[in-house]
Amino acid sequence: MRKTCMLLGMAFFLVSSLGLAPPAQGVDFSGKTIQWIIPFKVGGGSDVWARLYAPFFKKYLPGNPTVAVKNMPGAGSITGGNYFHTKARGDGLTVFGSSGSTSFPYLLGVSAVKYDFTKYHIVFASPTGGAAYIKPGLGVDSVKDLKGFKTKLNYASQGATSLDIIPLLAFEMLGLDVKGVFGYKGRGAGRVAFEQGETSIDYQTTTAFIKNVRPLVKQGLAVPLMSWGILDEKGSVVRDPVEPDLPSFPEAYEMVHGKKPSGPAWQAWKAFFVAGFGVQKAMWLPEKTPEDIVMAYRTAAAKILKDQEFKKVIEKSLGGYQQLVGKEARMAFNEVLSVSPESKKWLINWLKERYDVTVK
Amino acid sequence: MEAALKSLSIVLDPSHFMFLCAGVLVGLSIGILPGLGGIVGMSILLPIIYGMDPHSAFALLIGMVAVIPTSDTFPSVMMGIPGSSASQATIMDGYPLAKKGEAARALGAAFTASLIGGLFGAAVLTLIIPIARPIVLAFGSPELFMLALLGMSMVGVLSGNKPGKGVLAAGIGLMIGALGDAPAVPEYRYTLGIEYLMDGVPLVIVGLGLFAFPEIFDLLIKGRSISEVATLGKGWLDGVKDAIHHKLIILRCSIIGVIVGFLPGLGGSVVDWIAYGHIIQTTRDREDFGKGDIRGVLAPESANNAKEGGGLIPTLLFGIPGSGSMAVFLGGLLILGIQPGPAMVTEHVDLLYTAIWSLALANVFGAGLCIFLSKPITRLTIIPFAYLAPFMILIITLASYQASRGWGDLIALLVMGILGWVMKQYGWPRPAALIGYVLSDNIETYLFISVQRYGISWMTRVGVIILALIIIASLALGIFYQRKKTPKARSESRDYATQASQR
Repeated sequence: MRKTCMLLGMAFFLVSSLGLAPPAQGVDFSGKTIQWIIPFKVGGGSDVWARLYAPFFKKYLPGNPTVAVKNMPGAGSITGGNYFHTKARGDGLTVFGSSGSTSFPYLLGVSAVKYDFTKYHIVFASPTGGAAYIKPGLGVDSVKDLKGFKTKLNYASQGATSLDIIPLLAFEMLGLDVKGVFGYKGRGAGRVAFEQGETSIDYQTTTAFIKNVRPLVKQGLAVPLMSWGILDEKGSVVRDPVEPDLPSFPEAYEMVHGKKPSGPAWQAWKAFFVAGFGVQKAMWLPEKTPEDIVMAYRTAAAKILKDQEFKKVIEKSLGGYQQLVGKEARMAFNEVLSVSPESKKWLINWLKERYDVTVK
Repeated sequence: MEAALKSLSIVLDPSHFMFLCAGVLVGLSIGILPGLGGIVGMSILLPIIYGMDPHSAFALLIGMVAVIPTSDTFPSVMMGIPGSSASQATIMDGYPLAKKGEAARALGAAFTASLIGGLFGAAVLTLIIPIARPIVLAFGSPELFMLALLGMSMVGVLSGNKPGKGVLAAGIGLMIGALGDAPAVPEYRYTLGIEYLMDGVPLVIVGLGLFAFPEIFDLLIKGRSISEVATLGKGWLDGVKDAIHHKLIILRCSIIGVIVGFLPGLGGSVVDWIAYGHIIQTTRDREDFGKGDIRGVLAPESANNAKEGGGLIPTLLFGIPGSGSMAVFLGGLLILGIQPGPAMVTEHVDLLYTAIWSLALANVFGAGLCIFLSKPITRLTIIPFAYLAPFMILIITLASYQASRGWGDLIALLVMGILGWVMKQYGWPRPAALIGYVLSDNIETYLFISVQRYGISWMTRVGVIILALIIIASLALGIFYQRKKTPKARSESRDYATQASQR
């Protein structure tokens, strides 16, 4: 075992010194260790995401630095975000991985948040999707039947200020009478509650939807309704390519109301949808990072996405979604940053009136 | 069957087998270190599994997690410090045995019980897979709330002859558990503006604070070795004989272990207490519990190994982890590109069997290695404790620091330690506080969900009524035996008193 390890190590060293000589440019991370701060626990979605990317950053960053994932969970990711904001230096050795749960308190203006995404440099971003489904036997065979549908429904939620803002607001915009039942620990628990009959409407991220909900659909235990959609280059929400048969939420809205969604509710929904799904996870460099280091990171990210091996990783573990690099990521995240004060205010007010939740 | 044999040949293939052994060694080491448990082990191994083939990764991870409840018995028995949250109840009788110089016997019994419990868990996992889904689905939030209450009802028996103090101690535990973010509403409780408290006090710190700290203090104050006798008494073979003699206890507690592991959301950290409470409840001659009764070692040790087999079911079939270590394991599955779900039984059935074989084999190796190690390690109990104490304090501090890696961990450890010491001094049952702490989140969450969803009518569900009857029966049984015991115990002490006065 030890011998093999040593041999492997030597082989690796040889290969790396011969084949991957550092490129002739100013930035060189050889012998350095890069800390990638993930403000969540080991084994969570963001942790897995970072660990899938980390070895490829080692491969493509100049000087092949070790990329270590550092988990800093706490206060729903605010602890890690604040640490990055106050402690990270602009030397490219500390990067941050944000998630929808990091963006939401930022958008809602939670007072504990010190981090400020307008100041950082985005390297790349990863979207994800979600799809909603309903209990059979209620007279709903597709999203069209939701027009004028008045049956009371239950939805298993983690909390009104979590990513569940998106399903809860979407259901309300479709005119559904959905009661949020709060306290469930994650989407997996929500799905089990649906299967138990404890709830009657639910959503899953598309990867979990494919593996866990499609079998239910086949057995006649669930009726798929819609996906939330994905963000296209122009910034509009279109059909999710992973679930092409399902209408996106804007399409569903049109089917039910006969017109395209608009107004403050829609503005707020879209802004939070982009933060929660469209660019759910993103890698950031701190404020004072020099241009060449930012470029080195973005170049590395672009190379990673062209790597054949990484394409397999995307297919298998990242839901098959097109990852966004550099400018694309920046533009997509601008949708989050440019949320108008009115939309925020509307949403905060909605949370207060509908769920009696005060954002502090 | 064919798939099972195919998976066995995969697991026994040298390259996979090596990973299983590596996993077992990591698991044993982590189990021996106080306070470190499955979550730490998983976190250490997770970065390694990237790019591994799933069979090897399963052998590594499951091999590790399967043996932690075996080796974590060492610190629990020998020093009265929980090796991991799964062996807290083992302290109650294991440690008094070590004080009597019978550490080897306690360890022998514990490892045999662990082995049988682990194999039982693996066997049940095999048999139950086809019918697992409907069983898991039968337990909705109201039923889970009642199960948490059943766990709370153990407080009575665990408090011995001080039920009043026990209930109050459980209340203290519930309050500690309520610190930090509320489970169902976006609010933080009693944080006093301190960021550390927003996530509550971590389990490992409560466990080490309440149990390890007071023990170290007292041993240092007394300035002696752990064992009160200079020679080590009965050997590990006696322990094995004890285990065989009490095979029915092991079987019963293994069943409890599997069920608790199997039900998502109950959390594995109470399984040892439930098994321990159960055995006291159903035993007539219970005077020796807490003073070194070997049955008090067998019960938690068989249950905590059996739990791992049960715990794999909700993780693999539903993607809902039953414990902290299973939550990290779930992340490992995603890194390997495996989505847990019903497809595990169809597409990945070979992996499922790999998991079962790894579990079974790891338990055999783990128990074997531990028995082999127990002889030299038990000698530690006759060393003057002053030599061991600095090392123990260091390890406990490090283990606590693992929880969230901030200053807050160390301060919380100190506060919990002082609380534990005060409780010990004044005879407040610490297990009751721990159970309250562990179950507080479940009790609150599931009650909250039940009331939101069903209003008052959740109480009329069949499952809830059945569980309520079980709770009443269990309380009644406890009181019944307690009454029966008391006159006898009184007469015994009178006898002792007369003897003493005659002398």
